[in-house]
Amino acid sequence: MSQENGPAHLVQLEAVPALAGLYRRAVRTTVSRRVTRKGRPSVLPAVRHRVGGVRVELPALTRFQHLLGSAARDQLPSAYLHTVAFPVAMSVLARPDFPLPLLGMVHLSNEVRQERQVVASETLDVVAWSESLRPHPAGTQVDLVTEIAVDGQRVWSGRSVYLARGIRSEGAPERSSVERPAFVPPVPTGRWRLDADLGRRYAAVSGDWNPLHLSGPSARMLGMKGAIAHGMYLAARMVDEAVPAPSGALSWRVDFATPVQLPGTVTLCFASPAGGDAAPRSRIDVVGWDAKRRRPHFTGWVGAE
Amino acid sequence: MADQAGAQNAAQSPRTAVVIGGNRIPFARAGGAYAYSSNRDMLIAALDGLVARFGLQGERIGEVAAGAVLKHSRDFNLTREAVLGSALSPETPAYDLQQACATGLETVVGLSNKIKLGQIESGIAGGVDSASDAPIAVSEGLRRVLLDLSRARTTQQKIRILSTLRPKDLSPNAPGTGEPRTGLSMGEHQAITTAAWQITREAQDELAYRSHQNLAAAYDRGFFADLLTPYRGLMRDANLRADTSPEKLATLKPVFGKGLDSPATMTAGNSTPLTDGAAVVLLGSEDYARANNLPMLANVVDAEAAAVDFVQGDEGLLMAPVHALPRLLKRNGLTFADFDFFEIHEAFAGTVLSSLAAWEDEEYCRRVLGLDGALGSIDRSKLNVNGSSLAAGHPFAATGGRIVASLAKTLSEQGGRGLISVCAAGGQGVVAILEARN
Repeated sequence: MSQENGPAHLVQLEAVPALAGLYRRAVRTTVSRRVTRKGRPSVLPAVRHRVGGVRVELPALTRFQHLLGSAARDQLPSAYLHTVAFPVAMSVLARPDFPLPLLGMVHLSNEVRQERQVVASETLDVVAWSESLRPHPAGTQVDLVTEIAVDGQRVWSGRSVYLARGIRSEGAPERSSVERPAFVPPVPTGRWRLDADLGRRYAAVSGDWNPLHLSGPSARMLGMKGAIAHGMYLAARMVDEAVPAPSGALSWRVDFATPVQLPGTVTLCFASPAGGDAAPRSRIDVVGWDAKRRRPHFTGWVGAE
Repeated sequence: MADQAGAQNAAQSPRTAVVIGGNRIPFARAGGAYAYSSNRDMLIAALDGLVARFGLQGERIGEVAAGAVLKHSRDFNLTREAVLGSALSPETPAYDLQQACATGLETVVGLSNKIKLGQIESGIAGGVDSASDAPIAVSEGLRRVLLDLSRARTTQQKIRILSTLRPKDLSPNAPGTGEPRTGLSMGEHQAITTAAWQITREAQDELAYRSHQNLAAAYDRGFFADLLTPYRGLMRDANLRADTSPEKLATLKPVFGKGLDSPATMTAGNSTPLTDGAAVVLLGSEDYARANNLPMLANVVDAEAAAVDFVQGDEGLLMAPVHALPRLLKRNGLTFADFDFFEIHEAFAGTVLSSLAAWEDEEYCRRVLGLDGALGSIDRSKLNVNGSSLAAGHPFAATGGRIVASLAKTLSEQGGRGLISVCAAGGQGVVAILEARN
């Protein structure tokens, strides 16, 4: 993964930071930025945040696996590796010199490449940085890159794309006036019924206490209609249900469309792409949508080797 | 007329079913390392290790049979769900089986029979149990109210139904180890049998001590290296006490049989503790093993189930294997002298010792088993040579898989013939014969 702002300064963190603290700091930053209307986004901090010697706690892993409905095996769900590393990435976003407001940023997509399966007894080294600050028709986009290594070997790398809505930057493309093709729902193969408290329950197992997911009032504060499901919950479940027991390398990608309001029902289609005769189970395409409004919530794919 | 299958039946089967290998997770004490792991979690963990060991990723296995004794009703398809959560091909069929503590052994017997008949080429047999994550049922009163409520149409009806609910209906029912027909716990039943056969406290503690010693020695020489996959931080059976001694065991207070005339002898040390765990065994035809370049540890020769009348009859609850064994030996034309290893499941030390005493008792063998004389004695040096349930623990349905895989490996290393005996709740028991390949 390339670094575009010249050589990055490596910031060694003592431990994985607590997300709750990062969010509290972000609330203060948001408020103060609103008051001072400080500056436009310009450059990303040329830093990489690193935490070494990260250990997985088994009880927390079990709770995460059970919330997703997956088996509590010692092998770590690919999305759990993201969850373990996520606070390190968020600490980059929460830096005072990070040009976009952490709160209210919209998660657009995730792409992950996992080299091999990782078990709970392994010690993880996490490094995260931001790159590719760029305009988007609705604001400004940025990539958050996270890498996890075991004994100096990279085992997992992920790129999350975030959008800061309404933060305009120079050279932003205009909204395309071309009509998007209407969403045609595929034949459903499954359904997720998501309870009203799912956001709080997922926050409890992932540590991601983003107010967007916790309650109606806290989500409305950030411009949502109500509490929405964590994107990573949807992604984790998608990956687990597409490939329940990966044994080698795993790649996956999810693109989020409309948020999933809680409580809510997501209709799903898991399918092998047509024409994949050679290795029919090597890749699964997934779509999750709102059957009533005929709107996609997310699309993605999972590839196992 | 009594059912005695003859030698022309099971013992001379058209094909051979072989044990290819096994895998289990270390057994944990209830409330320990697997306190929050479900039956499905543990069965999948055991399957994962088996799949990895024998390269079964994406393989369609002929059939998978497993079960759990303490099973939540939502786990009605436990084994099939575990297969779907594993790396096996989703086109692998599976079924659940439940025969109390004989569940695991019976799955091995059932799938071996299908292999012998040529109905399947490969099978995975096993079982799982969690005493920690046990299902808890609502009271009968609350269950009745909830069912009636779901059928009520009007608000008035709902109010009337709810008004029948009593505070005591709100207390949950946890599963017990009591026999439904007698109300006695399994330990209390065994205490009666232990007393009847005059099994001493010292003999029971000695058996428990040897179980720990043998299991510890088996771990120390790496015997379980290819039979076990660590899980949730556990590398060995949590119940194993390598440093225990007959003296230490003698200090424990009796827990069962305190109401009997004779002194109580059964303690927590010479009874199996409540345990969590899972074990699976890979079975196949000789053709399957050869075609896939897999090892053949031992042949599954034959098996026999028995049940006894412990309710109105005077036989002990856990004495059914005592009845099954002479029938199995007769059918196969074998005596104790033809066996090199005996795996007698240690539900309680008293169970093993009562069984041995019964087979040695001429009067009992004539009167109760209908034999010409005593069945015979078992050389103690051939008994449970790699430890058994007193040391390893006993997650009910997982015990059969543990024993079959361990015995098959022992036979592959040392040759000979092995006998398995497992007692079960409900006055049942299953015995089986495994044989080395050469």
